[in-house]
Amino acid sequence: MSFLNYLVSGLSLGSVYAIIALGYTMVYGIAKMLNFAHGDVIMVGAYICFFAFTRYGLNPFLSVVLAMLVCTCLGIVIEKLAYKPLRAAPSLAVLITAIGVSYLLQNLALLFWSSNPKVFNPIIPNKSINIGGLTVSYITILAIVVCVAIMIVLTTFINKTKLGKAMRAVSEDKGAAQLMGIDVNTTISVTFAIGSGLAAIAGVLLCSAYPNLTPTTGSMPGIKAFTAAVFGGIGSIPGAFLGGLLLGIIENLAKAYISTQISDAIVFGVLIIVLLVKPAGLLGKPTREKV
Amino acid sequence: MSNVVLKCENLGIVFGGLAAVNDFDIEVHEREIAGLIGPNGAGKTTVFNLLTKVYEPTSGEIFLNGESTAKKTTVQLSKAGIARTFQNIRLFNKLTVAENVMTAMNQSMKYSLLEAVLRLPRYWKEEKAAREKALELLSIFDMQGMADVRAGSLPYGAQRRLEIVRALATEPSLLLLDEPAAGMNPAETAELMENIGRIRDKFGIAILLIEHDMSLVMGICDQITVLNFGQVIARGTPAEIQSNPVVIEAYLGKHKEG
Amino acid sequence: MNRLKAMNRTTRTNYLTYILVIAAYVILEVMLKGGGLKAATKGMLVPICAYIVMALSLNLTVGVMGELSLGHAGFMSVGAFTGTAATMCLVDAVPNTAVRLCIGIIVGAIAAAIVGFLIGIPVLRLRGDYLAIVTLAFGEIIKSLVGNVYMGVDQGHLKFSMFTNELNMSPEGKIIIEGAMGIRSIPKIATFTAGFVLIMISLIVIFHMVGSRSGRAIMAVRDNYIAAESIGIPAFRYKITAFTISAAMAGAAGALFGNNYSSLIASKFNIDTSILILVFVVLGGQGNMLGSIIAAAALTILPEALRSFADYRMLMYAVILIAVMLVSNNQKIKDILKNAAEKRTGKKLAEGGASDE
Repeated sequence: MSFLNYLVSGLSLGSVYAIIALGYTMVYGIAKMLNFAHGDVIMVGAYICFFAFTRYGLNPFLSVVLAMLVCTCLGIVIEKLAYKPLRAAPSLAVLITAIGVSYLLQNLALLFWSSNPKVFNPIIPNKSINIGGLTVSYITILAIVVCVAIMIVLTTFINKTKLGKAMRAVSEDKGAAQLMGIDVNTTISVTFAIGSGLAAIAGVLLCSAYPNLTPTTGSMPGIKAFTAAVFGGIGSIPGAFLGGLLLGIIENLAKAYISTQISDAIVFGVLIIVLLVKPAGLLGKPTREKV
Repeated sequence: MSNVVLKCENLGIVFGGLAAVNDFDIEVHEREIAGLIGPNGAGKTTVFNLLTKVYEPTSGEIFLNGESTAKKTTVQLSKAGIARTFQNIRLFNKLTVAENVMTAMNQSMKYSLLEAVLRLPRYWKEEKAAREKALELLSIFDMQGMADVRAGSLPYGAQRRLEIVRALATEPSLLLLDEPAAGMNPAETAELMENIGRIRDKFGIAILLIEHDMSLVMGICDQITVLNFGQVIARGTPAEIQSNPVVIEAYLGKHKEG
Repeated sequence: MNRLKAMNRTTRTNYLTYILVIAAYVILEVMLKGGGLKAATKGMLVPICAYIVMALSLNLTVGVMGELSLGHAGFMSVGAFTGTAATMCLVDAVPNTAVRLCIGIIVGAIAAAIVGFLIGIPVLRLRGDYLAIVTLAFGEIIKSLVGNVYMGVDQGHLKFSMFTNELNMSPEGKIIIEGAMGIRSIPKIATFTAGFVLIMISLIVIFHMVGSRSGRAIMAVRDNYIAAESIGIPAFRYKITAFTISAAMAGAAGALFGNNYSSLIASKFNIDTSILILVFVVLGGQGNMLGSIIAAAALTILPEALRSFADYRMLMYAVILIAVMLVSNNQKIKDILKNAAEKRTGKKLAEGGASDE
């Protein structure tokens, strides 16, 4: 394969990371918490789509919508039951709770769906086209297109709609937002809902490209997407987009040209170098404590 | 005239195009209490942050006991003799009152971590001496009885006093007090005033203080510098400042309490 | 009795911790000798000790230093591999297993301390969540790298290789670390007594450090680094000291752990292990060493105790974890505890005013 091929497939993987990272970054921006269970929401989304589409032959588009609906509800429920009571708690307590939720989702999946890997049928035909000598699979194109579309819609939503502005206000200053008459709880719920819905899309795309579905499918992509969010500057939506894409490309190129075994080490190594040079990530705003 | 402890020349800092402090000059002598006043946002605390290198000055020079501090960091400046308190109290909340003060003696203590882990004689000797010295310093404010209480659970006024004791424990030659009387009632302020004077006499140090309480400033300061919009607009004895028309217009006349 | 009263609360808690650990050791040792322990429980004693030391080590970083580390398993891994490789190389040279284990633990601690120091230099310049994610990254990097190390001994010489097992050894050479396969046929020389001694040493180091000028400086930086610097505390230097010591303890725990099983693989020390240790620390209470010990022991036994629930046990574990976090951070319960604490301080302040220090 040529360099360009690796680059395009890296872009595709990066698009999936970017979609997951968007969810991470939005939740972090608004709730200031590392939602470790986000990766497992991806897994749930992929399972729902698997059963709807592969098992029961539902229309692929409807299957994805169903997965999104389920994940959106799941996100809202998790937030209400596990995170909302901890609004005032130390961030470490919230982190541990998120880890608990992650374990819970994985073990529920294990119980319902067993640890046997499910073979996920891609939601679109597994074909490829030739663009100027470059062979690109449909799923690669789909991932990139979906990611760009989500990015555009999300940016418009955040900047133009009332709810989007409320989200930005809450992430800047919860107390002030409340005084301005913004319903903080609803805004946070909506953020979780959007993030979880995106996770479902990411799960479907991920499993269409790597069709091995198990209860731990979401863990590693979740951690990597989290890395991508930090890489781009956590809390920043363009940052998550950029971070996700770069991470996917770096990972793919490292696998192709250096070593498959240590590609993860290289990805994390790049993250460390970026943070040392720009401690708030590529597009993050550095903060300074007032003395 | 006694020794010059602090001397600033043309000190300035620019934040995003805005000069927060511009051409700031001051001279503070040994056993002198100098006041720095001005309306809110005039740049008083910024001056303290420049003096202690929390911010790096964009222009000008600072001399401490005749030596330039240009190449020194916050930590090194503490060693060189500057100690400060903070406007928004910054104590080590989870440590006890005595531990807060003993932490400030770190530089003068010599035992190593290995000696501490093995609890060798030098550890015991220095710890005992440090604790005794901490209690002695706390007694300035009659706080020795609170030595084993967590700093975070102290009442507000006591927290402000503890910050001063902690600063003194570093054995400074220049003490910077950022609104020491904030949040205190008149009786407490009067007592604080007396104590600041006593600290100057006992330790023979120079004190520069920021304060909004005019009774305190006019009562104990030997000289006062008035800052407005980052500029020095007046300088002189309390009597001179009180009758200075520029000051009255810019500051006292318009917003008495700042 | 008077002396006990004269001691401050920290000292009393420290002694209580020592006494409880010693008592637990004596009871378990008597039960071991008397055959009162099931084989499954016996097998868990050393891992529990290793996890307790891990929890103490991480509590030094999270509780005392106040920085979140999500890669502590990496230091455990370094200690486990170097410590176990060391004891395996010394099988002939040092026949006494206790001495050999001791050397292995020291080697593991030193190796992890070096790695901790080197990682600490970049990591400890960052703050908060950024610091946490970078420790996570380093943990994963260590896992990847350790999983690709090949090492053998050949006529008294050590041979290393990364990624390939071309060690160019003579036929007498013995391969020790085999990449992703890790170390196999380990003699299992770790003992419960060694674990107990390691816990005691860790406790003494932590308590004595916390009660010294270094400990105060580290906690001062945690509580307010700007104020700490203003009184001349070089924040970075103290942080790196604490981090290195924490890594050394994790390395020692790893060496104990590695010498307890017949085989050892790098992927065991992944993010899940790091998080498991973090759970011990948070549940036990940050800065509370006795809490860490109890949490580590209880949560290592819990999955075993839940074995009768078979498939549901990890589910139960997750539910218990969430429930504990929700209950312990419930505002109503916290208020009650806070009121009680305030009453106590209030009393102390009143007493303090009258006492003659």
